[in-house]
Amino acid sequence: MHRLTQATSLLTGRELILLAACVVITIAFASVSPVFATPENAATIMRNSVELLLIGLGMTLLLAMGGIDVSIGVVMGLSAIAVGRALGANLDPALAAAIGPLTGALLGLVTAAVVVLGRIPAIVGTLGLLGVYRTAIFVVLGGQWLSGLPTGLTEMLGTSLVGVPLSFWVIALAYLAVWLALRRTPFGLHLLAIGNSEEKARLAGISVTKVRFAAFLISGMLAGLAATFYVATYRNVEMTTGSTLALDAIAAVVLGGTSILGGRCSLIGTVLGVMLLRILQNGLLLIGVPSLWQTVVTGGLLIAVLSFEALAGRLSFAKLGWASR
Amino acid sequence: MSEAFLVAKGIAKRFGGLTALSDVDLEIRAGEVLALLGDNGAGKSTFIKVLAGAHPPSEGQILVAGQPVSFASPKDAAASGIATIFQELALSENLSISENVYLGRELKHSVLGVPFLRRKEMKQRVAELLKELDAHISDPEAPVGSLSGGQRQSVAICRALNLNAKLVIMDEPTAALAVAETRKVLALIRKLAERGCAVVLISHNISDVFEVADRMVVFRRGRKVAERLRAETELEEIVALITGAHPDVRALEKAQ
Repeated sequence: MHRLTQATSLLTGRELILLAACVVITIAFASVSPVFATPENAATIMRNSVELLLIGLGMTLLLAMGGIDVSIGVVMGLSAIAVGRALGANLDPALAAAIGPLTGALLGLVTAAVVVLGRIPAIVGTLGLLGVYRTAIFVVLGGQWLSGLPTGLTEMLGTSLVGVPLSFWVIALAYLAVWLALRRTPFGLHLLAIGNSEEKARLAGISVTKVRFAAFLISGMLAGLAATFYVATYRNVEMTTGSTLALDAIAAVVLGGTSILGGRCSLIGTVLGVMLLRILQNGLLLIGVPSLWQTVVTGGLLIAVLSFEALAGRLSFAKLGWASR
Repeated sequence: MSEAFLVAKGIAKRFGGLTALSDVDLEIRAGEVLALLGDNGAGKSTFIKVLAGAHPPSEGQILVAGQPVSFASPKDAAASGIATIFQELALSENLSISENVYLGRELKHSVLGVPFLRRKEMKQRVAELLKELDAHISDPEAPVGSLSGGQRQSVAICRALNLNAKLVIMDEPTAALAVAETRKVLALIRKLAERGCAVVLISHNISDVFEVADRMVVFRRGRKVAERLRAETELEEIVALITGAHPDVRALEKAQ
């Protein structure tokens, strides 16, 4: 509760626990795998976190508002195809880079239109869109990968500034911007009020529709930005690109202390949630657990955290008429 | 008494074939606490919803400061200086007191076109308001979710004051409160009136009403059956008026 208003306080209990968990599993994996605690592997974990950090940021906004987007990973996939096609057509890399966030923003508006104007719960509306987008990806790609894309974008975005990869400067900037929007502008107050109760927010005179559109737009744009970095890093786009990212993002954000019922969020928590998830996935792979098990671990973590919060009385799905049965 | 802030003339409200209100005349003056009394279904809730802009009247006219008005929504009513504090207070539990008081009408300044909150000023203003109302809340940054029912009423009243409300309508403000809390809220209501606000109050608790109201209006079966100054009436008379046992009400109902 209090962390909302005390934006200046450092780490909350939840965040400290997450940080401790990251340290503990790092030590544990390091003691088992000789490869884990190498600078090369640390770089791999960081590179694997780029997309999730950006998509998790958008997901934090959506969950704080009482929304969700289970199609966000596929939105990144579609945006990645757009960037890939632009590169394949020998478009200027700077323009191709802009096409990612642009496509994502456009798809975010589509999501908002379906969920907000269609007046359906976000979880159902975005599930419907997930079905549509998956086939769209298949049709657009024609069953084939986009691969061997030109290197222009990779050269442009693969640079470092003061020893830190450009991608992390962009991520830091994005987090700073969203933090300011959440804690320092009316938009953030309105978003959190909607997350608490849409009805009360409306009674207070907030234009709920506008705020919800903006949040879905921002989330889509961040997924599109993630797509640009994805294409720059891997220079190919597969049928399954992004398909597990929605689950990863929801798990990381909820781990970080953002309420899945809305009204409360933590950006530092999201960063720590992403790190924990990616370290865990990387470490398990290195000690020989097949990658097939990664989604089992993520899904299991998500269920465990929510169940823990429900049992601790901090979460009541009955409030939403979501009683489990 | 000062001139009437709001005048309602011949207000009627029908829902299909059901007549919820008929021919209600009422004046509400600045600085006055007016209580609406009546049994369940007597029409008092419908009446305040008409005043709050939630229900357009089927017949009749409302004048605010002498000018005829017509409210299509609570927003219109708010623009005329009428604020309604609903029984289920429309506060966001996850936000702080000062955030709630300003929600939807924040103070902001623009930096490169981005509106930033003026948190310090909002906090100061809310601290002043809370002090003025003697609300016994020290920290305007405390989340509303941590407050008691009575403290939440104070926050709702602060919000109404901050919106420059000239008429505050309160629906059962003490219904869910403990004794000590009720006393505080009643004191707040008096403070509101002293500041020159008109207050319209619905309550089932007649002893509360006698403590705080200047004037009482009794509704029965959709009509206004009596109007009394507190100084000129007693609890027994009001109860008789509400239940219909009073000779005036009997005569009135026979005549219809």
